[in-house]
Parts: sequence; C-alpha cells; structure tokens
Amino acid sequence: MAELSPCTDMAPVDDILGTYPREEASLIQVLQDVQRVYNYLPCEALTRVSEVLGVPLAKVFSVSTFYKAFSIEPQGRVTVKVCMGTACHIRGAPQLVDELTRTLGIAPGETSEDLEFTLKTVNCVGACAMAPVMIVGDAYHGNAMPAKVSSYLGKKGVTDEN
Amino acid sequence: MPRLTIDGKVVDVREGAYVLEAARKAGVEIPALCNHEALEPWGGCRLCMVDVTFEHWDGWYKAVAACLYPVAEGLIVETRTERVTNARKVVLDLLLARCPDTPLIQRLAEEHGITQTSFARNPEQTDCILCGLCTRVCDHLGISAISMVDRGIGREVAPPFKEPPPDCIGCLACAEICPTDHIDYTSTHSRREIWGKSFEMLRCKTCGKAHITVAQADFFADRNGVPRSYFETCDDCKRKAHADIFERLGTGP
Repeated sequence: MAELSPCTDMAPVDDILGTYPREEASLIQVLQDVQRVYNYLPCEALTRVSEVLGVPLAKVFSVSTFYKAFSIEPQGRVTVKVCMGTACHIRGAPQLVDELTRTLGIAPGETSEDLEFTLKTVNCVGACAMAPVMIVGDAYHGNAMPAKVSSYLGKKGVTDEN
Repeated sequence: MPRLTIDGKVVDVREGAYVLEAARKAGVEIPALCNHEALEPWGGCRLCMVDVTFEHWDGWYKAVAACLYPVAEGLIVETRTERVTNARKVVLDLLLARCPDTPLIQRLAEEHGITQTSFARNPEQTDCILCGLCTRVCDHLGISAISMVDRGIGREVAPPFKEPPPDCIGCLACAEICPTDHIDYTSTHSRREIWGKSFEMLRCKTCGKAHITVAQADFFADRNGVPRSYFETCDDCKRKAHADIFERLGTGP
C-alpha cells in the first residue's frame, strides 16, 4: 500500500493512464485503478486524469463523487464495516458502532488520524444468520460482541463467536 | 410533417420534434422546469408528463415525458387526464418539500392545488431544484466549469472540489438560465464574482460599458480564432457602427 500523504507522487497515475486509451470512456477504469493505488482519489491525481483524458475537471469530480467505490478523502489502511441491516440492527449492531467509535475515536464515515482505520456502516452484507456482523479489512466477524471489538481489530482471520 | 392531436387540437410539426414542442405550437401549455430551447432535452424534472396513445393501441395509454417523446404521425396526446395531473402533483409536492420558499415552485404547486407539501420540509434553505440547466448550458458552451456533485440527498451543483472553478470564464450563462435564480453573483463596472471566483471586466472601447469579462474575451477569441479586438466593443456599439455604415451605403455619394 502506498504512503498516504496529501501531495503524492504522481508516477503511478501516469503509469495507469498509459495503459488506457486517452478518451472519456476510460475515465471510470482509470479512477478505479487510482483508487486502488492510493486508497482514495487525490485531487492532484484527478487534475492529471482530467488533463490526459481530455475530460473537464468538473466531470471527473462529478464521477468521483457519484460512486461509492470512490473516495476523495484519504481512507484508512483498514476499512472497518459494521452491518446495519435489519437482523444485525436487532442483534446489537448499534452497540458495535458505539464501541468502535469509543475505541478508534472516529464516527462512522471518518478515518483515524494515523490513517490506520476507516469506520463505515453498511446496509446488509448478506450474512444475516451470523448477525451482528462486522468486517475488518477482509475478515468477517459473525455474532460479534462489543466486548471483543479490540481483538477483532487486530485479527486477520474469520471468527464466529457461536 | 407528422400530424398529431394534442388535447383534441390537430397540429402539424416538423419531423424530429418532441411532443413538448408540438404542444407549444398547438397552444397547449405543458409545465416544464428542466427544458430550454437552447439545450438538448434532458427529461430530468418529470413535470411535463403526458399520456400518449395511437388509434391502433385500442384505448391503451402510456405516460411519457413530453420533452423527450418524439412526435409521430397519428400520435394522440392528452395533457389533462387524471393520471397526468396526479403525476405532476407528486413531482411538485416533492419539489415543494425541497424548496418550500422558492416562488416559482410555490406558484406551480399552487396552480396544481398544492399549498403545503405533504412531505417533510427540507431543513436546508435552497432554491436549487437540480434541474441541471446550469451544468448543461456550461457544457454546451464548451466550458464545463461546474457539474453535479455527490448523489442522493447530498447532490448539488458545484465546481470541482467546491473551490473557485479554474475553467469558469464568468459568462453568467448558468445564473441567467437558472429558473429559480439560485446562483448568486455580483457584477459591477470593474469586477464580476461568481462561484467564488473574481473576474476583471472588459470595458467597451467606445462607450466604456463593462460588457463581458476579460476571461470571456480571451476564451472565445482563442477558441474560435476571432480577433480579440472584436470583443473590445460592446454589442450596442457594434450595432451602431454597422448602422452608420448601412446609412452611408443607403444615401450614396
């Protein structure tokens, strides 16, 4: 993962732009690749994409803010998602969010200052039988308990408290 | 030329026109907010909904947006059916919830019998109905300084990064086309400000009137290869100069 300073090295952006035709139709693919490298879309990168593809900056910005897959704010190295679907909600997802907010010092949608964690709430991850579910990076934690939130944050593997 | 019937009135209209244009030709009024004759139809506001049918559809009607439905020979359009009125009421009810204090929306809603929105009022004061006219006219002029930003309830018209737009030339097309006068600007004889960007005005060489911004003159001269001096006199003075020439030509030696 690249270092996440605001004014970043633009070389990866130029590399990405080199692999696609210089036309408006390449926009979303280029933005996806840029998002993958930096974990967000730095404004300098958007300006470069706009210049190279010949798409007005306003349009690039419009697309960047339209899709949930893109972020124009720096994101943490690890994304923590808490499912707020009906089943998870009933089985205590709000308490998980409260505990995470307390532990990480960030509200849903925010990123910790050390750029380690981004906390998000999502609407349903399709694992209602394991409710409540929280996901740390790629690791799913079913029947999650607020008391074990800190241990989930450090864990790589999948857990199910049942 | 296709011939169609709109609310019982027969009208001939050019090939390739849309129902809204035909209705205006027939003298039938259809309310529309996101439509402008200078721009391609967009179908965003859904206020121009009408019912259409053909003789051979056996009484089956389809609700369509008049601004985007192409005319066809034998098309029958109804603009006052209960279904059409209800569709418009829903749109206006929603718009009134978003912009409860906007005179244009209040007036249109009232014309449709709505004085109070049945939804929760928007807590944020705005006159923007997201009709997209400003962003589309900006695109159409080839500038694209502003665009729709974000989605859902957070959607708004804004410049990139919500900062003064680098591409804006201060032409005011967005502010002038806005049906609700939502876009703020100030314009004096020396400077113009819009979208947080400040522009120097170009004064007419003849009468001294500040008629366009320097950025506008530079942009159009550069893009179209027109000598920049063309923009240094205002339209009124250009017209006067031409009138003088014609007068002299007319009187002869």
